[in-house]
Amino acid sequence: MREWEQETTRRHVLAWLLRAGAGAAVTAFAAKAAQRPTADRMVWQIDPRACIQCGRCETECVLHPSAVKCVHGYSMCGYCKLCFGYFKSDAARLDEAAENQICPTGAIIRTFIEDPYFEYHIDEPLCTGCGLCVKGCTHFGNGSLYLQIRHDRCVNCNTCRIAEACPAQAISRVPASSPYLLKERL
Amino acid sequence: MPAAVWVSVVTAAASRFPQPQFDSGHTVPQAVHPPFTALMPAWADVLILASALAVAAWLVHKVRARRWLLVFSIICLAWFGFVRQGCICPVGAVQNVAVAAWSGGGLPWAVAGLFALPLLAALLFGRVFCGAVCPLGAIQDLFIISPQRVPRSADAVLRLVPPAVLAVGLVYAIHGAGYLICRTDPFVGFFRRSAPMPLILTGMAVLLVGMVVARPYCRYFCPYGVLLEWCSRLAWRPFAITANDCINCRLCVGTCPVDAIVVPRAAPGDAARRGLFRRFVLMLALTPLVVAGCAVAGWLMGAEAARAHPAVIVAERLAQTPEAETDLHPEIEAFRRTGRTQEQAVADAAVMVSRFRRGCAWAGAFVGVLMALRLLGMTRLQRRTLHAADRERCVACGRCFAACPKNRNGADVPVDRE
Repeated sequence: MREWEQETTRRHVLAWLLRAGAGAAVTAFAAKAAQRPTADRMVWQIDPRACIQCGRCETECVLHPSAVKCVHGYSMCGYCKLCFGYFKSDAARLDEAAENQICPTGAIIRTFIEDPYFEYHIDEPLCTGCGLCVKGCTHFGNGSLYLQIRHDRCVNCNTCRIAEACPAQAISRVPASSPYLLKERL
Repeated sequence: MPAAVWVSVVTAAASRFPQPQFDSGHTVPQAVHPPFTALMPAWADVLILASALAVAAWLVHKVRARRWLLVFSIICLAWFGFVRQGCICPVGAVQNVAVAAWSGGGLPWAVAGLFALPLLAALLFGRVFCGAVCPLGAIQDLFIISPQRVPRSADAVLRLVPPAVLAVGLVYAIHGAGYLICRTDPFVGFFRRSAPMPLILTGMAVLLVGMVVARPYCRYFCPYGVLLEWCSRLAWRPFAITANDCINCRLCVGTCPVDAIVVPRAAPGDAARRGLFRRFVLMLALTPLVVAGCAVAGWLMGAEAARAHPAVIVAERLAQTPEAETDLHPEIEAFRRTGRTQEQAVADAAVMVSRFRRGCAWAGAFVGVLMALRLLGMTRLQRRTLHAADRERCVACGRCFAACPKNRNGADVPVDRE
């Protein structure tokens, strides 16, 4: 005969009390914690104002390559011929040769529009999120290049590894209904 | 969906180089940002977990066949692991719940549900979550090849690791030093099929060790397992090796990979009883010492633990870095932009260290209490007449079902020996 087929004893009653107590405690604790439920799903995003382009977005993300990519706020871009996000500071010539580009993977596409203006596009599959172009553009240009977590790639971890490693604490959760913190001219 | 709906514009900085008016009539393009698309609504995840727990309980208590449990655990590994990529899982949700309870911040109901459901299931049916639903358990279970018995002394020490991880992990989480429990999950890299090399190597090492020490992560690391053990101890219908009456044939004993089968034990004789009582008194006297000792150890380790907190990292960097090299450290660059002084940073770090010391002292005391309770438990006068599964250790994998000749499932015939 097994334990629960025996007649009810004080032991059983005590066990039931403990069980009910533990169940109530777990439920109450979870309910208490969720007292202020968040209405929307939250996703991770970089605040470009706080970002200091340290380069950890490229290396710390659980995804390889990182879910962080450079994006271009075209409306802020000055269409400069000498783009500090495109050319190395010691570039010998202002042309598209690889040795002149700041981007290690050549992910920025430079197109001639009209003299002396050029348009810059990000080739997202090539971008590693290292932020070298962002640093140049932010320090010497308009800051139209900036880093964002791309939600077609981000797996929305419970804790974002980049957020933990970010020296500027620039990464936080934002509502999934507006998952980007964009730089645009108003 | 038009871009403007889900876009929030954070800045419109004054441009150094104003945008040109194009003579050629070129229009400025608009960047496209892929929206966040969830595979399914959050409540569906909770519903699927609840259903999986129900199926696992049914398999453990009614079907009682290892192969179906194995099949179901592989399904759960595929779904919760490789499809849902193991995040957010009940193991990690402990931290979200603790943070929300501590700081009063928001917590989605789905996360609270993920946290509570496996515990409630354990209160009813034992650790059915571990046996078939948890993807971390399932992946280790597949690698059990030749499980060896862990020496009792090593087992006793190693079993103190999970409560320590739980307590320290919660201290980290509530003080904002990141989610330690998520960071130490060795298998999430496999589930995402993308991870830094150290994580992949750790995961492979755990699986390799798991060939001879069954489920090493579950037994000697999983912080959620501590809570599951407590709930399973009070289970309404604990895991049963046999659906009928045990006849003490001892056939099941060797089948358990996690040493969770307890064997009959005679009641101690008078002499042994006196010896046990003396030991009990001794242990009881030692209890305050053990708890205090662990608390002090925790307090001492608190400063080291605090080094994971951003405020402490900044203060350390500022103190260690010579003036000429400050440009090399992003922490210092970010700190300078806040416009705060080094004194303030040091004061912040000191506050954080003292919080961590306090938190880790509590964590140590918690481990100490568990240690003392286990020491006292070793002196319990307990007579056992039948073979049974230990309620805490048993992970409901069902390997013992087939060994039991009294198992009513016709397909599960006893193992043929000689």
